[in-house]
Amino acid sequence: MYVAATCTAIPISDLLDRASQRSNILHSLSTTLTQELDTHFPPMGRVIMPRPSMCHTSSLQTPNDKAQALQISEADLLSLARSLLQAWVDPLLVLSTSAPTLPHPAKNSISNKIQELREHSKNLGDGLNIISDKMGPVAQTISLLPYRGGNDIGQDKISKLTNFHFLLSCFRRDSNKIDSFLKVLRCRAAQLQPEMC
Amino acid sequence: LFFTLHVRGTRYSLPGKPTRTRCRSPEKETFTCWWDPGSDGGLPTTHALYYRKENSDTLYECPDYHTAGDNSCFFNKNDTSIWVNYNITVVATNALGSTFSDPVDIDVMNIVKPNSPEMLKVTVMEDNGWPFLRASWEPPHKADTRSGWITLIYEIRVKLEGENDWEVHLAGQQKIFNIFSLRSGGTYLVQVRCKTFHGFWSEWSSTSNIKVPDYFHREKSVWVL
Repeated sequence: MYVAATCTAIPISDLLDRASQRSNILHSLSTTLTQELDTHFPPMGRVIMPRPSMCHTSSLQTPNDKAQALQISEADLLSLARSLLQAWVDPLLVLSTSAPTLPHPAKNSISNKIQELREHSKNLGDGLNIISDKMGPVAQTISLLPYRGGNDIGQDKISKLTNFHFLLSCFRRDSNKIDSFLKVLRCRAAQLQPEMC
Repeated sequence: LFFTLHVRGTRYSLPGKPTRTRCRSPEKETFTCWWDPGSDGGLPTTHALYYRKENSDTLYECPDYHTAGDNSCFFNKNDTSIWVNYNITVVATNALGSTFSDPVDIDVMNIVKPNSPEMLKVTVMEDNGWPFLRASWEPPHKADTRSGWITLIYEIRVKLEGENDWEVHLAGQQKIFNIFSLRSGGTYLVQVRCKTFHGFWSEWSSTSNIKVPDYFHREKSVWVL
């Protein structure tokens, strides 16, 4: 009861500020991971890697430029960010279970970073839940984007590396979207203190 | 055709391959790509940029070859999407045929390099008789930081005139920075640059010069006391 009371006392602009710091870390981590994987990526992987439109989240309609993003209501923007984040719970688990068997010299470091990714992702999700509860039913709506890739990342070396890389590059784009949406939300909430933006 | 092109004894050839296709977005709203043309093969040669967007089979030609100068293509707000891959190829063509560049895949989210910060102002302030510098600046005017569409962090560097090394400080999202421990009577050079959290640093801004007043006498008198 006490915790709930404290939470409601925190202004939404502060919550969004914290959330956007988390989403920043998420995107940075995924960028570092992609670079790490790139150091030992088989040339064949570039040829057979699925296109970004094959990402399991690509069916979600999201804004593709500033004009579109700024037209969307706060509640809808938050709903998009939450839907994207929710869509990664399962595939991040697949990444974390397959990282230790990855045929890559930096698999330990990659494995640790995937764990960090999962933790930050979980924390951000919890934070966004609190914010959406404050914003109302539209913000609480989530579009379900099931991951149908299964638990197996692949059998041979090349398909393992390629699928891992593909999933990460999908996550990297989605984390950039989440980060951008939250930063727009943060600035809308901070209209009384425009110096924050 | 080959015969007629050889009459003067000059060797003509296909155009050289265009190389180093590179793109930059200053504000996440537009972007420009540049390329290095290869040789013209001794014949009048034209260059064209073609692109295909992810999820579409339509091949588009560059919408604007002029705005960003020679060997470039400018994509205005209407032609720019983010979180969408552009597959870009440059084609050089002369009378003998065409040569294609290596294709590049870009997403605007990966090519953001802002313009330099603007309106850098440096003033001498005083704290208990000790001077310090206060630098303040504005984001590049094209970057819409107010809506949150782009968020910039800043780095400032300071150098005593005549010295070689800059002292660099990360200012974060602040657009104001104080610099202490100044040399009495010294002239300082100050510059600032910016980037998004995940993008590339801008060029350094123009330099602001500021002379620190001579405060040694006061300092000395304090010691005598």
